[in-house]
Amino acid sequence: MSNLQSDLPMPIQGTLESEKARRSRSTALLEWLQGWLVTVDHKRLGILYILYSIFFLLVAGAEAIFIRIQLAIPNNHFLTAEVYNRFFTMHGTTMVFLVGMPILFGFANYVVPLQIGARDMAFPRLNALSFWLTAFGGMLLYFSFLGGGLYGAGNAPDVGWFAYAPLTARTFSPGNATDYWALALIVSGFGTLGTAVNIIATIFSMRCRGMTLMRMPLFTWLYLVVSGLTLVTITPLTAAQFMLLIDRYLGGHFFDTQAGGSALVWVHFFWIFGHPEVYVLVLPAFAIANEIIPVFSRKAIFGYPAMVAASVGIMFVSLGVWAHHMFTVGMTSVTNAFFVLSTMLVGIPTGIKIFNWIATIWGGRVRFQTPMLFCLGFLYQFLIAGLTGIMLSVAPMDWQLHNSYFVIAHFHYVLVGAIVFCIFAGLYYWYPKATGRMMSERLGKWHFWLFVIGFHITFDTMHFLGILGMPRSIYTYQPDRGWNTLNLIVSVGGFIQGIAVLIFAYNFIVSYFKGDVAGDDPWDAWTLEWTTSSPPPVYNFAEEPEVRSRRPLWDLKHPYDTDWEYEG
Amino acid sequence: MSSEEKNPHAGENTGVVALPANTAWPVVLAFGATLCFASLVMNPGVGIAGIVLVLVALVGWVRQIFPHEHHEEVLVVAHTTIATTARTEVGRIELSEIQRSYLPIESYPITSGIKGGIAGGIAMILPAVLFGWLTQHSIWYAVNLLGGAGAAYWTNPTTAYIAAFHWSGLLIAVVIHAVICLLVGLLYGALLPMWPRHPILLGGILAPVLWTGVLHSVLWFINPAFANRIAWGWFAASQLFFGIVAGLVVARTGRIQTRQPLPFALRMGIEAKELMSTEQEDEK
Repeated sequence: MSNLQSDLPMPIQGTLESEKARRSRSTALLEWLQGWLVTVDHKRLGILYILYSIFFLLVAGAEAIFIRIQLAIPNNHFLTAEVYNRFFTMHGTTMVFLVGMPILFGFANYVVPLQIGARDMAFPRLNALSFWLTAFGGMLLYFSFLGGGLYGAGNAPDVGWFAYAPLTARTFSPGNATDYWALALIVSGFGTLGTAVNIIATIFSMRCRGMTLMRMPLFTWLYLVVSGLTLVTITPLTAAQFMLLIDRYLGGHFFDTQAGGSALVWVHFFWIFGHPEVYVLVLPAFAIANEIIPVFSRKAIFGYPAMVAASVGIMFVSLGVWAHHMFTVGMTSVTNAFFVLSTMLVGIPTGIKIFNWIATIWGGRVRFQTPMLFCLGFLYQFLIAGLTGIMLSVAPMDWQLHNSYFVIAHFHYVLVGAIVFCIFAGLYYWYPKATGRMMSERLGKWHFWLFVIGFHITFDTMHFLGILGMPRSIYTYQPDRGWNTLNLIVSVGGFIQGIAVLIFAYNFIVSYFKGDVAGDDPWDAWTLEWTTSSPPPVYNFAEEPEVRSRRPLWDLKHPYDTDWEYEG
Repeated sequence: MSSEEKNPHAGENTGVVALPANTAWPVVLAFGATLCFASLVMNPGVGIAGIVLVLVALVGWVRQIFPHEHHEEVLVVAHTTIATTARTEVGRIELSEIQRSYLPIESYPITSGIKGGIAGGIAMILPAVLFGWLTQHSIWYAVNLLGGAGAAYWTNPTTAYIAAFHWSGLLIAVVIHAVICLLVGLLYGALLPMWPRHPILLGGILAPVLWTGVLHSVLWFINPAFANRIAWGWFAASQLFFGIVAGLVVARTGRIQTRQPLPFALRMGIEAKELMSTEQEDEK
């Protein structure tokens, strides 16, 4: 027997070892997954937010590609009208609620505590709860593809991302798709509110020694403003969603015009949320630009106090402009005039910001690396977006262009041209800090140039389609309208953007394994997050930092020419 | 050469840091809450499961933080960060004196632009009324064309209707005309320092041409009925009349010294005794 045992061939022993190794690997994998599932660390939650949003960015991007295939040629039947409605509803809802807000809160989660020298957010468990509410809200929305229809059949929401009444009434939206839309946004809305409260508490109570409010990095300042704005704006949306559910299930008549309600009440509620929401999304984009532009221009930000004041100004003004989405509903001339003027007023603080960014770049030693390229694209495109916004703020102009592709082009100039460009800039900028690896600069430039070319082919052309009278939300059109060639061009631009995003996704994944080692401070930057290792340890800082100026790392690098001597 | 200094923010400390312990209760609570909401469109069983999860998670969460918050101790790993930069040279942007020499030291006051706007606005009534008299035999025609822009109930008015007198048309036209003339005058006054030597050229020719061009391109959006009936030759002529009168009024106003040569503190309106006395000495 012993002989037999000793004569056993070696491969069996090897198999046992590999089995053991395989089990330990699977245990390690499970432990690793569990670590992410139960984490309360702000950095991990920030990364989860960002990965979740990038996933939905690809989903919503795919929906956009389907939309553009459908509209590329007239009388197309690639999608049915019903499926087309679901796709544009889900595209809009996903981009705003499952991509824009989570990714920007992901940046806040990751960067804000590091920038203010804190070890974590003020309420780490609430932070985890907020993320998971947002995540489950998104899953619930997409579950509607399986369970949202009549009698158990799948059917996604198809009422547009603003879900105007009375289309959302049970008569016109039978089944549960609209309910999934409302419930998913309620759930993710609670998550958003939790994050906003957390950011405000963190910024007010956890800044390191020496970091007065006027020494805070502008990134953090803008997130403080955004979080305040979020608290004010999400609430009416959530209230409206509850009212909608009451109408649909408990016999309420809030939006039922025939029973004494008003469809316009929904429009007011939605846009009281909806327009400040644009600023909830764009202010973090400004925040990212505020970090990147000075570092890559090798100059301190121009007009720091004016930038703070402009951000706070935008917050207040943005709360009084919502009805410029409603010029065509038949408001009084006085109301129209008020919202024309208040909307134009936003141009002042926004203009201050643009001038300050240009003044920051002016005379600087500009480095045209990928994060800066995306910021430069943002600057130009946001300027155009602002100008078309001023055009649409003029009520008679809006009467001509309302619900046309001109409006679609305008808000995509804001949401993609400004916000998505800054999100990409931020991802390239902080990726080395989060992973310890650099993203490929060569692929980054390919991404930028393809994306910027695709963007302009798509959205510049869309303006002309709008002026030529093409309304939004139509699933096809007749060939004699004069829109054929322009629509094909728009679709081609969409595909080019899609290729650019795929290059980014490839770069994002491959760089994690094969990217150059980043080091602690790859960009030669100035804020506190670059004083820790890359990736930072779980406790962020071994000791609480102390700062004396807005650029603490500059002071360390230039001890004979410190900022605090000038900032006083 | 690069400057190097050890970063005091991340010294070689070794020790232990207490951080909030990881916990599954937030994800359980979030899932339970989602199930509760989802049950409204699924079935009551989902809601019951959600309520159970919420209750369990709340109890677990409370036990996490009472009586003492759960922490886990993390060993601080020594890590020395050296703050370095290859860009040690600090440059300063020098502002050239030449850049400031183009700013005028004398210009017309902004109020002269407003006065010019008022005078031009009054004078402009003449060619406008003349246009109505010659083309439609009515002095109210031009008035109503302008006033109709603000009267929403004037839908597709006939020529005879526009040529007749209407109180609403007159009042609205007066308001529109007065506001626009004041604003244009204000803009004119604000632009005067850019071209202080030639107020009539700026106000009398350039501004009317630009204003006519702007209106020509956007009037179809703002007031299609007006755009349909407007005689652009007469319109441009009345704008020129406005501009020349406004320019003459401005030119008759005395120039004032701008505050450009003054120190920044004085321009900001700060009462600085020493600066003032230096200024007075300079004048002597």
